[in-house]
Amino acid sequence: MLHLGGSWRLPQLRNLQDELAALGQTLRDALAEGCGLPIDGSGLHDIDTAAALLLLDALRQAGVDTASLTLQGFDARHARIVEVVRGRLGDTVAGPAPRLMNMVAHFGQAFVGLGSLLLGHVEFLGRVLAALWRLACKPHTLRVHELFAQLGQVGVNAVPVVALVTFLIGVVMAYMLGIQAEKYGANIFVVDGVALGMTREFSPLIVATIMAGRSGAAFTAQLGTMKLTEETDAIRTLGLDPMQVLVLPRVLALTITLPLLVFVGNVAGIVGAMGMSGVTLDITPQTFIERLHIALAPRHYLIGLAKAPAFALFIAVIGCRMGMSVSRDTRSIGINTTSTVVQGIVAVILLDAIFAVIFQELGL
Amino acid sequence: MTAGNDVVIDVAALATRFGTQSVHQDLDLQVRRGELVALIGGSGTGKSVLLREILGLQRPSAGSIRLLGTDMWNADAPTLAATRKRFGMMFQEGALFSSLTVAANVATPLLEHTDTPPEFLPKLVNLRLSLAGLSPDVGGKMPAQLSGGMKKRAAIARALALEPEVLFLDEPTSGLDPITARAFDQLLAFLNSDLGLTVLVVTHDLDTLLSIARRIVVLGRGKVLADGTAEQVMQVDDPWIQSYFASRRAAPDAPAPATRSIADGT
Repeated sequence: MLHLGGSWRLPQLRNLQDELAALGQTLRDALAEGCGLPIDGSGLHDIDTAAALLLLDALRQAGVDTASLTLQGFDARHARIVEVVRGRLGDTVAGPAPRLMNMVAHFGQAFVGLGSLLLGHVEFLGRVLAALWRLACKPHTLRVHELFAQLGQVGVNAVPVVALVTFLIGVVMAYMLGIQAEKYGANIFVVDGVALGMTREFSPLIVATIMAGRSGAAFTAQLGTMKLTEETDAIRTLGLDPMQVLVLPRVLALTITLPLLVFVGNVAGIVGAMGMSGVTLDITPQTFIERLHIALAPRHYLIGLAKAPAFALFIAVIGCRMGMSVSRDTRSIGINTTSTVVQGIVAVILLDAIFAVIFQELGL
Repeated sequence: MTAGNDVVIDVAALATRFGTQSVHQDLDLQVRRGELVALIGGSGTGKSVLLREILGLQRPSAGSIRLLGTDMWNADAPTLAATRKRFGMMFQEGALFSSLTVAANVATPLLEHTDTPPEFLPKLVNLRLSLAGLSPDVGGKMPAQLSGGMKKRAAIARALALEPEVLFLDEPTSGLDPITARAFDQLLAFLNSDLGLTVLVVTHDLDTLLSIARRIVVLGRGKVLADGTAEQVMQVDDPWIQSYFASRRAAPDAPAPATRSIADGT
């Protein structure tokens, strides 16, 4: 006879388990003697399903046939709970733990995943270009309202952060170059360095990185949420094309605004450098601008601006595609948004490297 | 046990206003231990708001709410935390944590609030799934892989994790096919009768009301319009209640021809 007493409830589970473990040997001895094991619950104050499971599971592990257990002296409510758990005991046996993948398998899976991701991007880029071509043939299908909303969000609202960051980069560049140039008495060449570096490389790269984080992530989160709430499906069933309604305005908005923001970055960076040169290198703004005229050939400036639309196209395509490929749960919005930012920044730097090689070969 | 202890949910003189719009005025509601109460009412009558106020998710404008003896809007944090472990809630769409497997969802409250031995945890999780009518292998799936009905069952399994005394459900059968919905009714009846849970369910499902709810509370015009068994509620002379139940009463007498031809066709 097994007497239960006191409160058998979830908070006491660990104590109960210890007591049952201590009881283990006695139980096995009793079983070896072949005596049936009635359980007496008259002393029970309370029992819940978790504790009932603990008891029955311990008995089962000790080799007791739980189906033939008899309950004695149980309160009707307690007996019902024990019976409910007894009826479901078979369901509670834990299955085998899932097998962990080894490192090679992980690597392979990651590689295949990357491959299909890139293939998907190429396909999406193709569809965007095809949609752009259709738009060029029928310009009236452009969603003007949506385009202007995006221009505001992507472009105008980004001006302060772009100007601030590039201004500071200009300040830092002038300062760092100034320290070196001063040693040779070549203060004035700081202007050359800043002007070339800022307009040709830093401004496009930094502005594109900011926009990859700002707009790319926004595109993914917006489109992903719309996918989740079936808005994109609604657009389709209304006979509209999500590509035209959602994707093209975003791609166009970013492609139009990124060169403009790069221009803002150029100006802010050079202004920052001019201020810093005045303070640390005794180059007056007038001298600075005169030197700028000589040092900054238009082609450097134009190359910097020309890179921007290419960056924008990639950022926008990645952002929109990751948004449209969100699966139907909230978690994947977070995953895809993170992925968009990482991919956007990598794509920008990769493109910049390719441009550098091309322009080098062309002798520009 | 004293009589006062027997009342599990005690809403008194409750008022809720959003700006100038008044949702509840002077609303009183008591639910005793072991009851299965259905809360119904037209859209905008504040059923879900009332539920959220009882749960302590949304502050009422006036009045008091006692859940399991705790004044939900004046209690200190430790008392509230202790009370929160004593009730479970099933949200309408399940509200499962989408980054965790179903088993991890059910295990979350156990890991946070109890000292369950680790080797016993999977078994306990399986018992919870089984009580909610799910097989153990569902535990390994992600919420996104489940159908609507299974999501709701998984949500019930999670709500049951800590052996709650009270179970709240928001529209458990909405969006389910009638067969699944009836199975859900049976699940609620089972939890109520066999595990002794007090159940408060917001529903629009007439079958749920007529088959398992022994007490129906009708909200309307900011108050409790009717309170009692289905028969008692149907007798109440209120246009909304009458048209609500009329939609059902008319059906068996005069089935529409279209329905019959479809039935014949299959």
